[in-house]
Amino acid sequence: MSSIPLLPALIVEFFGSAAAILLSFYAVRYSLALVRLQPNNFIWGFLFYFCSTMAAFALSRGVGHIVRITLVYTDHNDLWKQLSPFSGGFNTLLIVSVAAVTIYYHKGLAAYKAIRSEARKLAEANTKLAASAKQLQTLNTHLEEIVEERTRNLSESEKKFRNFFENSKDIVYFCDKNGQITNINSSGKLLLGFENNPNVINFHELFNDKEALQSYLDGLAEKGFVSDLEMECTGRNGTTRHILLTANALYDKDRSLIGCEGIGKDMTRIKNMTEQLINHEKMASVGQMAAGVAHEINTPLGIILGYTQLMMDDFDENSETHSSLQIMERQIQACRRIVADLLKFSRQTESTKAAIDLNDIVLNVLSVTEHSLNIQNITVNRQLAPDLPRVTGDAEKLQQVMINLFNNAQQAMESGGEIVIFTAAEKNLVRLTVQDSGTGIDSTIKNKIFDPFFTTKDVGKGTGLGLSVTYGIIKEHNGRIEVESPVLDRGSQRELQGSAFHIWLPVTPETAESQKEQD
Amino acid sequence: MRNLNVYITVAGIYLLVSFLMPGPAWALQSHGAPEGICVHQMAHILFAGALAYLYWHTRKSPAIASRGWRYLQYFCGILIAWNLLAFTGHELYELLTPEDFINKDTWSEQLSPPLSGVKIIYYIAKMDHVFMVPALFYLVRSLKTFYREARLEVNK
Repeated sequence: MSSIPLLPALIVEFFGSAAAILLSFYAVRYSLALVRLQPNNFIWGFLFYFCSTMAAFALSRGVGHIVRITLVYTDHNDLWKQLSPFSGGFNTLLIVSVAAVTIYYHKGLAAYKAIRSEARKLAEANTKLAASAKQLQTLNTHLEEIVEERTRNLSESEKKFRNFFENSKDIVYFCDKNGQITNINSSGKLLLGFENNPNVINFHELFNDKEALQSYLDGLAEKGFVSDLEMECTGRNGTTRHILLTANALYDKDRSLIGCEGIGKDMTRIKNMTEQLINHEKMASVGQMAAGVAHEINTPLGIILGYTQLMMDDFDENSETHSSLQIMERQIQACRRIVADLLKFSRQTESTKAAIDLNDIVLNVLSVTEHSLNIQNITVNRQLAPDLPRVTGDAEKLQQVMINLFNNAQQAMESGGEIVIFTAAEKNLVRLTVQDSGTGIDSTIKNKIFDPFFTTKDVGKGTGLGLSVTYGIIKEHNGRIEVESPVLDRGSQRELQGSAFHIWLPVTPETAESQKEQD
Repeated sequence: MRNLNVYITVAGIYLLVSFLMPGPAWALQSHGAPEGICVHQMAHILFAGALAYLYWHTRKSPAIASRGWRYLQYFCGILIAWNLLAFTGHELYELLTPEDFINKDTWSEQLSPPLSGVKIIYYIAKMDHVFMVPALFYLVRSLKTFYREARLEVNK
């Protein structure tokens, strides 16, 4: 195998040394630029030292190689032998220096990283602080506007709920855990009759029914609410009110009951209407029964009366038997009147209806009864509407209605008083009101006064058929009768003692048409 | 304080006795010819170790992961190889004799036949700049990249 020429290796060595020197100084240039750009960066500082020692090494080694090649291959070997230990020593020294710089890099970098980490945290904290300061500044700037806007919203909300609270036609109330009302709306005060002293109302004391009160308290304590609880309470001026109650318990932050809030709907009118409806149904049933009974009794009574009268002819008028038969006749006549009244109530009697003026009926009856009324210190106040439309009716039966009402009024005013008779046209109806200033009718019996045989008089003083007959006659005329006690004065809105019977009768069709034409 | 006084007294007595009892001195150690190559070779090993440490540290640290550091790692790797090659070259040169060279110290200098593994590896090691120059090239690239990134950061 042939020898290997070392010239290529020498060429590589020569130019490689030059390239190494060039590149190492190029590296120094960039590392210096980095240090100048960011003087506080430890890594750039390290790289600068590293590159500098590396450049020194490359320079030492490269120059050594170049000088060696130059001297040795130009017959100056002796000179190179003198220089080579220094060149080699430098090389070794610089290699160790580069290694030392590299080894110390570790500690420096750790310190730099710690400082940089702290600096980053500080910068982040500063950024957050600046953001917070900006936010605070913005908040301060707009605080007044925000407060103003929120106050306005709050005020509108408060106004909305205050209006709801005050304008509600139901009772809206708040009370403490003992039932003491802390706030109640105007409708509540009006319904319960506590306009002037709402601070002393205890809601629990308003319950007339103790069982309902217990249900209310149990519901709040156990479930935290009551829903659609029917309560009866004594409202304004002692009138009984039926309230449909819904309430919620109020708690403090420890979930302890501190009171309640509730809404009560006044169901009195609906309840009365329901009772009236039931009463009408009852009256219709009673009327049917009364008609049947009256028909069955009327015929035997007629026969008994006939035979009694025949027997009376057979005995001397002064005889005891004749006297007994007279008593029998009177009692049979009384029975027949009762039967007749029952038939009138059940509308089974024949009527002769014609267009009549209700004012005339009133005046006719007064012409007969006013004298006896005056004797009992009862004055009659006529408030009769002129040109009152005519109604279709049986004059005789309507006169009986008037007599019955006057009798009732007279009996309610034993020590005198006033009867007001009022007539008026209301659309296609004629209204007649007979109002007295008597004792009035208790609310508990108001729904029973039209029942047959219902009476508050002592035994033997009345049959209890007067108002039943009146009711029957008005129904026969397709009218309506209502009782009001105590009476609300439409002008002063005050409640007056006594009772008022209001009757509405339909206007005669021809009269109604002519009235429309006039309108 | 008391102990210090005792040490000073003992040292004083020792010096006094030394002056009173002179003998041959071995003040300086001589450095023979092999020491130079030994130190140089040790320096190569130290340099390679330092570069290996730098390579390892830059790889494991996520805080300094970027393209510039990757070039620096190339630099470390190639320069470690250069160190090993140079180390090998120096060792092999010690094994060669003047008879292994023809026309020594002339432009026509050759490695004499027969060629052995030692001679071939020495020949390759002679061209160690093939490693050193690329290593320095990557060092420059690395610094250039760092500089570009730092400029961008400063200009942000």
